[in-house]
Amino acid sequence: MLKADAVCVGYGEALALSNISFDLGPGELVAIIGPNGAGKTTLVNALARLLPIRSGGILLDGENIARLTPQQLADRGVAIIPEGRRLFTSMTVEENLELGCYRAAARAHKREGLEQAYAMFPILGERRRQISGTLSGGQQQMVAFARALMARPRLLLIDEPSLGLAPVIIKQVFETIARIHATGVSILLIEQNATKALEAAQRAYVLDCGQMIASGTPDELRQRPEIGAAYLGHGH
Amino acid sequence: MSATLFGQSVLSGIFAGSLYALMGLGMSLSWRYLRVINIAHFGLVFLAAYMTYEFAGVRGFSALAVALLLIPLFFMLGVIQQVLILRFNVNEFSSLIVTYGLAIIAEAVIQLIWSADFVRYENRALHGNVEVGTLLLPMADILLVVIAVGLCVATWAAMRFTWLGKALRAGLDNPAIAAAFGVPNQRLLLLVSGFSAALAAVAGVFVALLYTLAPSQILSWLGVVFAAVLLGGLGNPLGLLAAGMLIGVSEAITMAVTAPSWAPVVPFTILILLLVLWPQRV
Ligand SMILES: Nc1ncnc2c1ncn2[C@@H]1O[C@H](COP(=O)(O)OP(=O)(O)OP(=O)(O)O)[C@@H](O)[C@H]1O
Ligand SMILES: [Mg+2]
Repeated sequence: MLKADAVCVGYGEALALSNISFDLGPGELVAIIGPNGAGKTTLVNALARLLPIRSGGILLDGENIARLTPQQLADRGVAIIPEGRRLFTSMTVEENLELGCYRAAARAHKREGLEQAYAMFPILGERRRQISGTLSGGQQQMVAFARALMARPRLLLIDEPSLGLAPVIIKQVFETIARIHATGVSILLIEQNATKALEAAQRAYVLDCGQMIASGTPDELRQRPEIGAAYLGHGH
Repeated sequence: MSATLFGQSVLSGIFAGSLYALMGLGMSLSWRYLRVINIAHFGLVFLAAYMTYEFAGVRGFSALAVALLLIPLFFMLGVIQQVLILRFNVNEFSSLIVTYGLAIIAEAVIQLIWSADFVRYENRALHGNVEVGTLLLPMADILLVVIAVGLCVATWAAMRFTWLGKALRAGLDNPAIAAAFGVPNQRLLLLVSGFSAALAAVAGVFVALLYTLAPSQILSWLGVVFAAVLLGGLGNPLGLLAAGMLIGVSEAITMAVTAPSWAPVVPFTILILLLVLWPQRV
């Protein structure tokens, strides 16, 4: 469903991503792991059309989306859960969720969507009138997930969902990802927490210094000694 | 001071305050949502006032018809202004200078067309007064209060409850993420600038109805409207309405108990007190 072909993205002169290729099948959960500064967020933002792509193509169901606007991409059923949640912090929880279904096709399902969101995250229902910026980190992450789900996405881009959260919350976040995946949504999961990401994913890619350096099933990647040492903390 | 004089002062303060709010509404919205401190707003207000004078006063068209034509026309002017501001990457500070320049150009254009002399539009339909006990309420002022309060409340409600209002607030919090959920930020900003200029047209019609016009007066409202906009909170129509009324009524009472020349001191005293006592508000 999603296929990147030799994508290059840069900031000014510097190239942050060079010749990135990967693919993600319908209903698949693919992880991209990599250390700090590898270019993971750059990749998500480029895919979401928030950053210009210097060269290369990105196909979504066969259509090249590399030159679309973010709004056009949203219309094609792609939603983002950005790094650091990036909520509309001065707005209430419910307003954040409503913004999730801003695009015309999703708007009709607002009530149903809110019910589902509050069923999935009951605490958000209790706090629907609270200003989202005043929630705890874990609750803000729930809002970010619920907001994206309100868009009824076919493809979900999730960037570093475990960032800054306590281990017990991280566990819940990954359970949520598994539940969303079980409903048939395709997911591209970007994570620095390679152990967790490989547990969740069906396939994974390793990104480092702006390049894809490995790919395979989680088992294959875990068995490769250089990957285990560098990204999974398997000391020898 | 007699009760009647006091009552009449409060009333005239409410009338003045309504006009401050009506003039300030467009400024407040463009300051908050476009990051444009739009001095040209006053140029538009006077342009609309002079066009009302010209078409309703001199040429005898109905004032309502003129107003209904000015609104879409000014909406377009507002959109064009914002397109240019975006095109030339004008930031918040430079917008102050650029739009000041536009206001001066508006003044020159008005002077060229209508001369520097005073002109006055007399509207017979709105000429009468309503008497309530010993108080006199001019029809034009009553209409002004209704329109100003109506527009402020409607704008507040639209910002709070509609898709458009929520999308604008989201765009202010986080434009990139709003865009990723389909919010067309740029188009909404053009809508705000158009709406803001349309409000200038409405304010201009009332300036024509209520005041004698001269091009040199274009910036005479600037200080008091700035004070109301800041005191009310940027992008806060109800706060603006309350601030406008507070300033208008304080001015009117000051004038009644001291001398008219003291009135301009009031809004700035209030504004300076606000800046000192509650700096995070501004
Ligand atoms: N706005 C920017 N301008 C210039 N360079 C940037 C910008 N954002 C990121 N970079 C650079 O691009 C590279 C990739 O950054 P990116 O944020 O994509 O990494 P990441 O893998 O998401 O890291 P993290 O794990 O810290 O989130 C880094 O070298 C970073 O310094
Ligand atoms: Mg990142």
